[in-house]
Amino acid sequence: MSTINFAAREINFKIVYYGPGMSGKTTNLKWVFGQIPDTRRGDMVSLATEDERTLFFDFLPVDLGEVKGFKTRFHLYTVPGQVFYNASRKLILRGVDGIVFVADSAPNRLRANAESFRNLRENLAEYGLTMDEVPIVLQANKRDLPDALPVEMVQMVIDPDKKYSMFEAVASTGVGVFETLKAVSRLVLSRVATAG
Amino acid sequence: MIEPAIALYGSTFQSVMKTLEELLRESGARYVMLLDRKGFVLAHKEALWAPRPPALDSLATLIAGNAAATQALAKMLGEPRFQEIVHQGEQNGLYVEEIGEVALLTILFDNSAPLGRVKLTAKKAAQALEQLTREAIVTPNKLGIDTDYRDGANALLDELFGN
Ligand SMILES: Nc1nc2c(ncn2[C@@H]2O[C@H](COP(=O)(O)OP(=O)(O)OP(=O)(O)O)[C@@H](O)[C@H]2O)c(=O)[nH]1
Ligand SMILES: [Mg+2]
Repeated sequence: MSTINFAAREINFKIVYYGPGMSGKTTNLKWVFGQIPDTRRGDMVSLATEDERTLFFDFLPVDLGEVKGFKTRFHLYTVPGQVFYNASRKLILRGVDGIVFVADSAPNRLRANAESFRNLRENLAEYGLTMDEVPIVLQANKRDLPDALPVEMVQMVIDPDKKYSMFEAVASTGVGVFETLKAVSRLVLSRVATAG
Repeated sequence: MIEPAIALYGSTFQSVMKTLEELLRESGARYVMLLDRKGFVLAHKEALWAPRPPALDSLATLIAGNAAATQALAKMLGEPRFQEIVHQGEQNGLYVEEIGEVALLTILFDNSAPLGRVKLTAKKAAQALEQLTREAIVTPNKLGIDTDYRDGANALLDELFGN
């Protein structure tokens, strides 16, 4: 029998890692998977192609623990970043509680970042949501690249008004991964706590 | 939560469990599970004789993703929806029934349970569950998800991910 006690109240949040192809979304999840104790997370599910590109989604459940009698859990998802997977990418946004937008710091990905961000806005609109209704944080990943663009420039093309918090990261070595996840989680919790 | 949340507890939860138990018994299936469209398990029940189920979290996620993809396909073909989702292997099968807009009922069965009976009992249970899940839609603050909750959860975030 399962050890999960459904009579106890349980609260789940869905956090989606969005961004252009190859920006490091899956790498973020892999880092979280590898670093937190296995008592605090479930299995990671990856629906990927042979060459490790995300085909549908990655999924990782993370247990925060019990708060005020609520078992609290974050379900982390990544979308497939490649442009032509938009139909499946859209599906993953269903019921989203918070978004991490993973931008690529490489100069030749500046435009891909902008396009992916615009695509996010369009896909949210299909669920009747605007960018202002969903907690969003930004991550400038691959800061280790020798030709990485200045963070300000990465942010400029996606968020010229600097509405969102931006975190610098090297997801492949874990730099900035927890900080980003913590930031979006806090926004999600604040939102649910003050929701009517 | 941007979409309304489904919170199953108390008497609604008991009624859901009773419906799932009946379904399990009448269908002869191994496992039955109620999940929301996002892929969260709301309630589940396993037959005493059945082997341990695979990880329910993963299962629920894949079923919700699969259902969403199937219904997106239906729309592209000009169908409002495909009536049922069924997968059958040599030993095991999976049957999914939509519960209104918000939930999915999943039945995992082996070849000792005929598909016809699984479908029939599932459709009956689906009717009861549709009513029950509708009753379970709530706003978070009604449940006590408030600023105290947020502060407690934030402390746990620091503990898990460091300061
Ligand atoms: N140099 C460098 N490489 C990274 C970093 N993060 C990820 N990568 C590499 O970038 C490549 C793509 O990473 P993924 O995490 O698979 O990218 P993704 O965003 O999931 O890509 P899609 O699934 O196609 O959307 C992999 O080879 C990673 O090892 C980083 O911080 N620095
Ligand atoms: Mg990926």
